[in-house]
Amino acid sequence: MLAVETRNLTKDYDIKKEGKRAHLRAVDGLDLAIEKSEIYSLLGPNGAGKTTTTRLLAGILRPSIGGARILGLDVVDDASQVRSIVGLLTETPALYERLTVRQNLTFIANLYDVPKEEIKQRIEELIDLFDLPDKIDLPAGSLSKGMRQKVAIARSMIHDPPVIFLDEPTASLAPESAKIVRDQILKLSKLEKRTFFLCTHNLFEAEILSTRVGIINHGKLISEGTPNQLRDLKKDETTTVFRFAVWNDIIKNFFQERNYDVLDINPERKSISIFIKEIEKETPTIIDELIKQNFPMFEVKHEYPTLERVYLELVQSENLPRNQEEEES
Amino acid sequence: MKWRRIWALVKKDLIEFTKSKYVLSAIIGIPLIFAVLIPLSGLLPIANINPGDFEGDDTFPDFINNLFASTVNNWESLNMHAQTLIMMAYFMFVMVLMLPIIIPAITASETIVGEKERKTMEAILASPITETEIVFAKITSSLIPSIFATFVAAGGYMIITDILIYPFIGQILFPDFLSIIFVLVFGPMISIVSVELMIMISTKVKSVRDSYQIGSLVVLPLIFLIVAGMLSFFFNSIATLIGGTAVMAVIIIILFKLATNIFNREKAIIKMI
Repeated sequence: MLAVETRNLTKDYDIKKEGKRAHLRAVDGLDLAIEKSEIYSLLGPNGAGKTTTTRLLAGILRPSIGGARILGLDVVDDASQVRSIVGLLTETPALYERLTVRQNLTFIANLYDVPKEEIKQRIEELIDLFDLPDKIDLPAGSLSKGMRQKVAIARSMIHDPPVIFLDEPTASLAPESAKIVRDQILKLSKLEKRTFFLCTHNLFEAEILSTRVGIINHGKLISEGTPNQLRDLKKDETTTVFRFAVWNDIIKNFFQERNYDVLDINPERKSISIFIKEIEKETPTIIDELIKQNFPMFEVKHEYPTLERVYLELVQSENLPRNQEEEES
Repeated sequence: MKWRRIWALVKKDLIEFTKSKYVLSAIIGIPLIFAVLIPLSGLLPIANINPGDFEGDDTFPDFINNLFASTVNNWESLNMHAQTLIMMAYFMFVMVLMLPIIIPAITASETIVGEKERKTMEAILASPITETEIVFAKITSSLIPSIFATFVAAGGYMIITDILIYPFIGQILFPDFLSIIFVLVFGPMISIVSVELMIMISTKVKSVRDSYQIGSLVVLPLIFLIVAGMLSFFFNSIATLIGGTAVMAVIIIILFKLATNIFNREKAIIKMI
């Protein structure tokens, strides 16, 4: 059984545009299949449909077309059960500021029918997990933004859900707190087989955490795969950097005479970046020749396209035709 | 309906009320005004008038005499000054019944629109609690301060009024059957109607300010009409009193159904976006 499964998941909002009623398609025919204990990250620019997708999957919104299942439960027909088995950290996770952290967590635990005798222990576990023991009896309004975010994440896990949706989980956290949250996500996924669905703008986080990444734009899934698979989409854009102990223009001539595509020359760092068509075949040959000619080379490295670069190119290329269409129309 | 979830939501709202200076001052301050200022400002000037000034050939119209003869002991034997004081005491007691209308306008706005404004509602909507449970809990949590305030205000009003007018009428006026029915039955019922209407408005608007404005423009006059209509029933006879209570109960049930139909998870979320 899949943890999250969507079929042609579509959501339209009724909006008013220039005084007239119109439809805004926030999510457009999304097909996802996420296995248990996966960490799936949905990337996309603002307004791409990430939050709406999360709300649909959490059983808060109803799909306009298509459907979704969470651990086999339909998000429309079994909405209440779906809400019981998922944890949700919203994009703007507001706490009850006049209530203490403990009161906030106890309240939500009661809404999720957590057995009364387990609530105290569960709260203490989460408070320890997110390093908040000295904050538990303080009003939530007195906490810093990062602390509140940690409480909100703890709140989304209070009922021990097997599937957890986290919208920008580390957005307002200090690096050390963000690391705690990332470590816990990895731990809960690996040891307790929980499924995480993250919406994020943080590509570094998506790259190091995710088993798979989906890129969404204008409500459509434009690409999906493991971080490596996505990086491989731009494999042919890998650059190779050579660094030398002493810089000399002869080095530049060496590469230009052999018709390599020189991308960057940095005399200060004594380095040159080039594009090699067949990296595995040509790189050893170049190194051999440089050594034979006694160039003082001390470092060669390939710079693979990052997920960020792949993401930006995909999103930009996806935007282009749409903008052109709008201009044409 | 799961009572544990409802109670959790009610308890949370009540804790929030006690920690909100604005709500707390309204719940405590307004009843004190009604309990102390209304009898002092309304009855004291009349009590200080010379009883002789009331003597003459004029009497109250028959319908007023009949109305009070059925509720006040020895009405006919009291002098005009004492009768005027009793009439004023009852009319101003009806004003105390405005509290069950006013307090919910504050608490109900705070609990639903306030949650939407502060974006705390999404955590509730993401939980398994049903829409009916949310509406029921919100009605209950808005109702409790209102009933508390009404009891405090009515109790205070009765004590102060009795102290003020006893020397003139020679009997303790409050509590009597009618006032007990007003405070224990009619007051909470008006309060429920007010809360239900405010919750219906709160689900439709985006800000607490809009809720107050629409509440004061639409709900309060509407409830005043209901109250005025119901008062005529209550003063008549036990039969009409029971009939009036039954009508109020039907209104309450219909409004609850409407409120639960109007309150929709998806719309609540979309209004927060």
